[in-house]
Amino acid sequence: MVEDGRLEDRSRVFRRGASCEFNGPALHSPLRLRCVLGPPTSVGAAKGNIDTSGSSPLDYLMDQSAPSDLISSSHCMLALVAIASAGLVLLMRPGARALRLAGSVLALAGVAGLFVEVLKLASGGQGVPPIFPVIFGVTAVAGAARVVTHPRPVFAAIYFILVVVASASLFLLLEAEFMAFALIIVYAGAILVTYMFVLMLAQQSPLDGESASNWYDRVPREAVSCVIIAFVMVATLTQVLFSPNEEARRVASSQRTALQAESDQWDALEGLPEQLKAIVRERLELTRTEPIEFVATDAHTRVRSDGDKHFVIASVQGKDLRVELSSADLPVNAQLVGTTLVKDYPASIEVAGVILTMALFGAVVLARKQVELNEDERRELAGLSRLSVEPEAGANR
Amino acid sequence: MIPMLATYDASSVNAALLTSALLFCIGLVGFLSRRNMIVMFLCTELMFQGAALALIAFGRVHGNVDGQTFVIFILTIAAAEAALALGLVVLLYRRRETLDSEAWSELKEC
Repeated sequence: MVEDGRLEDRSRVFRRGASCEFNGPALHSPLRLRCVLGPPTSVGAAKGNIDTSGSSPLDYLMDQSAPSDLISSSHCMLALVAIASAGLVLLMRPGARALRLAGSVLALAGVAGLFVEVLKLASGGQGVPPIFPVIFGVTAVAGAARVVTHPRPVFAAIYFILVVVASASLFLLLEAEFMAFALIIVYAGAILVTYMFVLMLAQQSPLDGESASNWYDRVPREAVSCVIIAFVMVATLTQVLFSPNEEARRVASSQRTALQAESDQWDALEGLPEQLKAIVRERLELTRTEPIEFVATDAHTRVRSDGDKHFVIASVQGKDLRVELSSADLPVNAQLVGTTLVKDYPASIEVAGVILTMALFGAVVLARKQVELNEDERRELAGLSRLSVEPEAGANR
Repeated sequence: MIPMLATYDASSVNAALLTSALLFCIGLVGFLSRRNMIVMFLCTELMFQGAALALIAFGRVHGNVDGQTFVIFILTIAAAEAALALGLVVLLYRRRETLDSEAWSELKEC
């Protein structure tokens, strides 16, 4: 009896600790918290600021309502990250082809399993996970692994283009159309061409009898410890990003900001007065046959709302008319990005311009060929007479 | 499992977040373990990709485009970095006739 009471007490303390740590919505059961903490590995140690002394294995039994698959989901993710890391280590090793093949199979299986696990979390365990995010994500990660492991730098650069295209597709899935195409144009089109040029300028051609790549491209430096560092980072990130707690907090936060996001979009439309006028004129011409003398002042192109309807008061031949707007009239992604960029971050644009200019100067200064001139040549360039009387002495100096 | 309905496509966001974490960490592995200086800088571009993907995914969660505007600045910095870093690499290559970063290992003081 006494033992039970103490357990109850500890559990309450633990609960209070949990709600201090995660003041998100609703989900504060100790079981879920332990899911965030994860298994007792370095990941758990990284989050050691949470007092776990109050939790005992009996807490599992005391909270019967919590589903037990949460624990296994977190453990499963960790195991999959470990499998993928092992595969990456095998891939980085030079030598036996069979081992590299086994490594790529392991890494692919681990990464694909990780994606399926994460998408199962998103859909709440019901239904088939959508296929496009998995395809693009796995393609991007596989391309990245190839960038890191390919022994020939030119091929690494080409695989990087694959990564760029795959992540641009993910941008499209996230409804960021402008950035998707800007990414392809700037990265795959401009930056990668610069890399290719530098590869051509700086790459040594292998001598006859050597293999196609240089030795320093084939032998990685400290592959195992690097992958261990990456394993710890990915494990921590997946535990933090994909706990059910965090998932629920993202949903709640998106709902909190949904109204604000909508009104921001209407504000952005207000920031495009010419487009707003065009929309209003189009609407008016649909309903009225006589020619329209449309007068709009600043006061008349303001988007107002009553409840869920948005409208504009347009002044037509002295009369005020109410023109309703639909969500199809909202600005598209590129317009939203543009208005946000110039309205909210004008100083950052200036700084970016300065950085680009300085990079231009820096690149020119770095690339300029430096020629050593002696005193006489410098004086000659400046239009002065030579210092030395005898040319031999000048050459020896 | 999730009590409320999301206002965004949760599966795309989760896939993008996982991809961003993996891209960043794979880029880190490449930066630490490759010896070729050009490939090392290519791996920093991979890490930039990861950061950009995370920014856009979280921007999608909150329904605004601020994340996308940040990605524009990431692109700017990436372009500036590529120009400067590759200029430096060419300069270093001219001095040592190799792209191996170990060729410059006497820069460490011990």
